[in-house]
Amino acid sequence: MTIARKITPYMIAIVASFAAAGIFIAAMGFDVGRAYSTILGTSFRTPNGFIQTLLKFIPLTLLALAFTVPLTAGKFNIGGEGQMIMGAIAASAAGIMFAHLPFYLLLPLVILAGVIAGALWGLVPAWLLYRFGLHEILTTVLLNFVSFAVIDLVATGPWRDPAAGHPTTIPIGEGGFLPMLVSNPPLHSGLILAVVVAAGIYVYTTRTTSGYELVASGANPRAAQVYGINVKRMFVFSLVLAGALAGLAGVIEVAGVQHRLIEGMQSNFLVLGLIIGLIAKGDNLAVPFVALFIAVLEVGASAMQRTMMIPVQMVFIVEALVLLFVLLSDVVRRR
Amino acid sequence: MEKEPILELKEICKTFTKTIALDGVSFSLVPGEIHGLLGGNGAGKTTLMNILYGLYRKDSGEIELKGNKIDIHGPRDAIGYGISMVHQHYLQISNYTVIENIVLGTDIDKRYTMKLDSEAARVTELCDRFGLQVDLNVTIDTLPIGTRQKVEILKALYRRIKILILDEPTTNLTPQEVDSLFDSLRVMVDYGMSIVFITHKLREVLSVCDRITVLREGRNVTTLERSQASEEVLVRAMVGDQVNIESSVYFARDTQQGSELESDAKPVLALQSVGLISKDGIARLKDVTFQMRPGEIFGISGVAGNGQRELAECVTGIIPPTSGQITLNGKDVTQTTINELLKLGITYIPEDRLHDGFLPKGSVAQNLILGYHRQPPYSDGRFIDWKTVYQRANSLIREYNIKTTGPDAPGGNLSGGNIQRVMIARAFSMPSSLMVAHNPTRGLDIRSMDFVYQKILERKKQTNATLLISEDLDELLLMCDRIAVIYRGEILGILERSQFDKYAIGRLMSGIKAEE
Repeated sequence: MTIARKITPYMIAIVASFAAAGIFIAAMGFDVGRAYSTILGTSFRTPNGFIQTLLKFIPLTLLALAFTVPLTAGKFNIGGEGQMIMGAIAASAAGIMFAHLPFYLLLPLVILAGVIAGALWGLVPAWLLYRFGLHEILTTVLLNFVSFAVIDLVATGPWRDPAAGHPTTIPIGEGGFLPMLVSNPPLHSGLILAVVVAAGIYVYTTRTTSGYELVASGANPRAAQVYGINVKRMFVFSLVLAGALAGLAGVIEVAGVQHRLIEGMQSNFLVLGLIIGLIAKGDNLAVPFVALFIAVLEVGASAMQRTMMIPVQMVFIVEALVLLFVLLSDVVRRR
Repeated sequence: MEKEPILELKEICKTFTKTIALDGVSFSLVPGEIHGLLGGNGAGKTTLMNILYGLYRKDSGEIELKGNKIDIHGPRDAIGYGISMVHQHYLQISNYTVIENIVLGTDIDKRYTMKLDSEAARVTELCDRFGLQVDLNVTIDTLPIGTRQKVEILKALYRRIKILILDEPTTNLTPQEVDSLFDSLRVMVDYGMSIVFITHKLREVLSVCDRITVLREGRNVTTLERSQASEEVLVRAMVGDQVNIESSVYFARDTQQGSELESDAKPVLALQSVGLISKDGIARLKDVTFQMRPGEIFGISGVAGNGQRELAECVTGIIPPTSGQITLNGKDVTQTTINELLKLGITYIPEDRLHDGFLPKGSVAQNLILGYHRQPPYSDGRFIDWKTVYQRANSLIREYNIKTTGPDAPGGNLSGGNIQRVMIARAFSMPSSLMVAHNPTRGLDIRSMDFVYQKILERKKQTNATLLISEDLDELLLMCDRIAVIYRGEILGILERSQFDKYAIGRLMSGIKAEE
């Protein structure tokens, strides 16, 4: 299938969803043209807007991959949020406890701690699945709630920043900050990490033997097993890898953006990640591109609310409509 | 025989998305005849009859019953017109008794007490009249396949149908059961019924049918009286010019020469008292012992569900046996997993291709390397060499005549026969000292079947052994050096080629051991 044929349904879906949402915006009495030019243009009009978009793009890509990688193996990880929070907690903990270390020791330590914590948070449902056959959708979702309690505990505990009005910890050591690519407006090097990781995931799933086994396990677990693939191990691996990806997103939020742990920093990245993964139809290669598109919408939405007083939820509706229309295009094509 | 036809199908056409299944097929049936509908897989036999039975809608064409045009929108209509069909897979409620299954969906005399005495009397009368002996008060799931088929036929007779369609009714019957089925069919037509007998087996058609219609690729080829028909004529009609009949294995007159295998050669595969007890505590295999010599084609015959699948999975290491020992080329592989066995030179064509052997979401190329994806030339253990994979995939697609747009095409778009070709291409694409093939030709047309047979015979020349598990006894008789008969997980006998006898094997298939 040529790329053009792959992209056409997306284009139609996007146009259709904008048209549909435009009716609402117009009905609410706003200027549709200006609203859309704000949504689509903000990211490209100013350097600040562009960098804001890239900063959104990073966690969105990672969380979407945390959903699509297990999906490749036929497993549903809805626990990206919890895994991200645990990654952020571990990264902050390492950054605070070893604050005095020089950056060449502290930064790797912060990253490693967060990635491992995320992976462990993915290992829990994976083990429950492996050992007891508990369905991963249930366990991953429930573990999100556990992570909310943990972040509350940590952010209000001994590391609490008394000056802040919101549950927040003190900053991590400066050695744990991700180096800046551009200092003003600030763009940190987490972008490179995210792009490299996304490329790595693509190479892994399409070029390696283990990646082939992952795909085969998702395509037909029984047949994969009959032909000598340890399917259960691939399931566990996919969920652990997903945990690591989401954990990395948490690390980047702490080490790149906030430089401390803040309750609620996970934002709505989980849901947006799911939407991106579904719009991409689980294709790991398509994820970064869809993530960029959604990041543009998100940044534009904030600007639209600021300048035109149109609620950001409008953009959420657009995103949901894009997803619906993309799914619909599949049905139409099957006919 | 110039009787007025009771039923006529005229110029029936049917297209499934892109494939043309029927292209203007006509068919007529007169009262009191057994009409054979002959053709290879994919010829359109079953599709045509499913249209008559109301399971599919025709795109165009007409159905006339006694000269009146009728419309059939579903099986209920068909039964109303006196037409019934017995499929290959019986639609029965397995925990109901025979009589309950037979009367299901009809009005009964005592509808509040469910006492079925009067109905049972009628069914017993039918049983006696047509020679279909069944105990009416046992539950369906305790019955063997052959008896369940009788129940299905009784269901049709009970509904007083005039036209009975049988879809490949002899699959899974022992030769004795086939004979008794044919006797019953004769009685039915003597009572004035008409029977459509769908099959791909020439010899059956010649032994029981009055008239024969041959279909090929969705078109009528010919309709013959039995007196005009001969094997020669029917073979030609079935395959057209595609198959060179002289070199064909499928139509070989005198079957393979007996084995020139050295009997003192070291066995390729040896099973010693292999037993398997399933999770729910039922013995699936009992004391299975046999040895296969290099180059041997060793057949396993039996009615489906007697442990064939479990045997295949034990030999291929998918499930470890509970007891006993399996050796491959002198090496103990009892607990070796399939992953290792694939490297040691075992290859497997599973019976249930969709569940056990195929990745519908994977591409054709991905499917062709499944199981060999860790081995050279496809992989160095870490990375897959897609360039080589695609080259090999392209040549396999050509050699095995897989109808697809290319190695990239999604597997889910392939038809059943093409999926089977992928299974076969994969199994034959790598050298192997032992092949386990379970119903390898199911769903293939005659040309492809022939191709598979030739491939298996090639293995013999290379002294590679083949364990051929099949429910088609004719296939086994044609191909094998020895045939073992399995019944309820036990090998009841192993016959040398010189001892091959349909009826002897049939007795073993129904669990009767030779009295010697």
